[in-house]
Amino acid sequence: MNGTVAEAVRPPRKAQSADFVAWLVTTDHKRIGVLYMCTSFAFFLIAGILALAIRAQLAAPGLSVVGPHAFNELFTLHGTAMIFLFVAPFGLGLANYLVPLQVGAADMAFPRVNALSYWLFVAGGLTVFSGAATNGGAADAGWFAYAPLSDIRNGSGAGMDLWIVGLLMVSAASIMTGINLLATSLLYRAPGMTMWRLPVFTWEMIVTSILILMAFPPLATALAMVFVDRRLGGHFFDAAHGGNPILYQHLFWFFGHPEVYIMILPFFGVVSETIPVFSRKPVFGYVGLVLSALAIGGLSVGVWAHHMFATGAVTNSFFSAVSFLIAVPTGVKFFNWIGTMWRGQLTFPTPMLFSIGFLLNFLIGGITGVIMASPPVDFHIEDTYFIVAHLHYVLMGGSVFAIFAAIYFWFPKVFGFRLGETLGKWSFWMMLPGFNLTFFPMHVLGLWGMPRRVVTYPALAGWAHLNLLATAGSVLLALGVLLTVVNVWLSSRRPTPAGDDPWGGYSLEWVTTSPPPEHNYEWIPAIRSERPAYDMRQTAAKAP
Amino acid sequence: MQFANSGEPAVVRCSLRSFFLRCVPCGLALSGCGSYGPPAGSTRQAQAIHGLWGVLLWTGIAVGIIVYALILWSVLRYRNRSDATPPPQFTGNPPLEITWTVIPLLIVGVLFFLTYRVERYVQDVSPHPAVTVNVTAFRWSWRFLYQGSGKAIAGTPDQPPQLVLPVGQTVRVIVTSQDVVHSFYVPEFLFKRDAIPGVKNAFDLDIAKPGVYRGECAEFCGLSHARMLFTVKAVPAAAFASWMQSR
Repeated sequence: MNGTVAEAVRPPRKAQSADFVAWLVTTDHKRIGVLYMCTSFAFFLIAGILALAIRAQLAAPGLSVVGPHAFNELFTLHGTAMIFLFVAPFGLGLANYLVPLQVGAADMAFPRVNALSYWLFVAGGLTVFSGAATNGGAADAGWFAYAPLSDIRNGSGAGMDLWIVGLLMVSAASIMTGINLLATSLLYRAPGMTMWRLPVFTWEMIVTSILILMAFPPLATALAMVFVDRRLGGHFFDAAHGGNPILYQHLFWFFGHPEVYIMILPFFGVVSETIPVFSRKPVFGYVGLVLSALAIGGLSVGVWAHHMFATGAVTNSFFSAVSFLIAVPTGVKFFNWIGTMWRGQLTFPTPMLFSIGFLLNFLIGGITGVIMASPPVDFHIEDTYFIVAHLHYVLMGGSVFAIFAAIYFWFPKVFGFRLGETLGKWSFWMMLPGFNLTFFPMHVLGLWGMPRRVVTYPALAGWAHLNLLATAGSVLLALGVLLTVVNVWLSSRRPTPAGDDPWGGYSLEWVTTSPPPEHNYEWIPAIRSERPAYDMRQTAAKAP
Repeated sequence: MQFANSGEPAVVRCSLRSFFLRCVPCGLALSGCGSYGPPAGSTRQAQAIHGLWGVLLWTGIAVGIIVYALILWSVLRYRNRSDATPPPQFTGNPPLEITWTVIPLLIVGVLFFLTYRVERYVQDVSPHPAVTVNVTAFRWSWRFLYQGSGKAIAGTPDQPPQLVLPVGQTVRVIVTSQDVVHSFYVPEFLFKRDAIPGVKNAFDLDIAKPGVYRGECAEFCGLSHARMLFTVKAVPAAAFASWMQSR
């Protein structure tokens, strides 16, 4: 099933060993995927603790739980870690694990590059956080590090340099993984696995990979230019010497908005896998789902300046029109997921609960996104807590809920035993209200004019109550997350064997053993649709 | 791709009925309270923005209710009732899919048209403003210079400056920054404009209501970002003229 050239240059396979060293030197896509997901989840827990510190500081007006400098470091590291070190890399880790299995390949196209990607990502993440150990503290210019605030002349120290270098490493890692996923899904497909039979998750990863290749080079460019300004006497963004601060914003958001889709498309893919299985139906409108992903990918490189409506430096109407337009393919996906559930037989184990939570939360983020596509309205809500609410409805209520769906859905395949359903459901029923209590009040605070990134706020009517509500919600949300961590620990102490296919899955990975052998498949069934595992069961049932 | 079986349209009608009966009243009750929205707006531009906000909000609520109703209907109606026969394995319905692509296209088309009109009005600058104020943002306060009079006001983080402006006259504001990017934001005006080093950003305000309005920096600018405040005092034109003459 694999390219013979790749087979020839690969070193001979050794027996799988649980040895620690074997994990460190592995080039097996499944192990790299697991490492990627575990590492990024660790960054999620750290960034979550930082978020709780932010909510503690903002629980009431005028508090000094942390000082202004520490607060700036907190939200900078929180945003950086969640975006660059958790949501996007978790998607890449999941794809690392799943894409070769779903297309019927033995490994990624470039296994050693794959290992390099992972270790660069780890090194980059640690470099970003190592800034906290320097004299001036960690980076404190926000995850977007606007020039010239991020310039050395405006105060930030070595922590900022480490942030730049760390993110350059993460960018390189992402680009390599993007190339790897693209090559694997295009060139390493098993016989019969045509492009129109690829699982929707793999399709979403193809579009994600293309976006990575378009978005990360401009980011790396912007970061390098900031570094040149800081340390090598450059003036790219220094208006006093003919530089242009707006240029940084263009470069950054030309990365930043496709990045939003890099952080959501993989999870559109996840729920496109879970919802059909738990509805006992094929996905509704497969072609529509694929085309809408391609449309989102295309439009997403034309919306970046909607982050810049208030600069007065961009053609607002164009970016407004494209930003309105991108809501349409996203809406198509929603209707397709509903069409998938329509007239099905729905069951609600934990992965399905989180998938429905994704639908309920992401819808609100999608609608506020359309509202923000209107520049005049944006003149009011830009850089207020309304944006904080919107982005968390998309990334936390959307992507992270889908990540939890993915964890509960594929855990049995990856480790061979199931996660406990009782704790899983408790986790969901705490996270759903906890999330909404935390972030829904922020819409109102933003409409009242509470700006983002303020260390404290005046005791205006209602502000204290809504902020306290958000802080209370964040505790409930954190406890819900903790229950899943406890669930993993308890379930691994008394493992319940999962079998090859605990859910009645559709895509190819449910055919092989749990966990799969090192080369993934001993044999591959005939692939006649986008549901080879389902077809195989149907054939077996009809056999005399 | 295969077509859905013929039972589809009847089920769609059924859910729409349930949505109108059950969910619309709940949505109206939840969002009826005006105090949870943005300020009504104290400039003519802000009042236009507020009207647009209302259209976007109610469109969003309507779409949200429809989609929520469809999701909840699917979850409640189609939950497994230990039915032994597997559900119909339909994989799509192209006419339906085209419909739910075209309808959202029309909706966003209308929203964009309304947005474009309001934006033209808000961004419009008068050739002959009555008053022109140069606003310079710096870390971490503001300097206001009234063009043609030499009158200047500067603040500090501990003593936020007050910008005095006339009601009923067109005020031109030109914002810039002397260090990093800031943003001039008055929530009651439903408006902000970034203060960018090397850039002079101009916009007009036609204040409709006298009052004292809270102003703040909306772009993160470092250590004392939260303390970079100011107030706008809007007074009748005669009072403004005599204030300009004072001192």
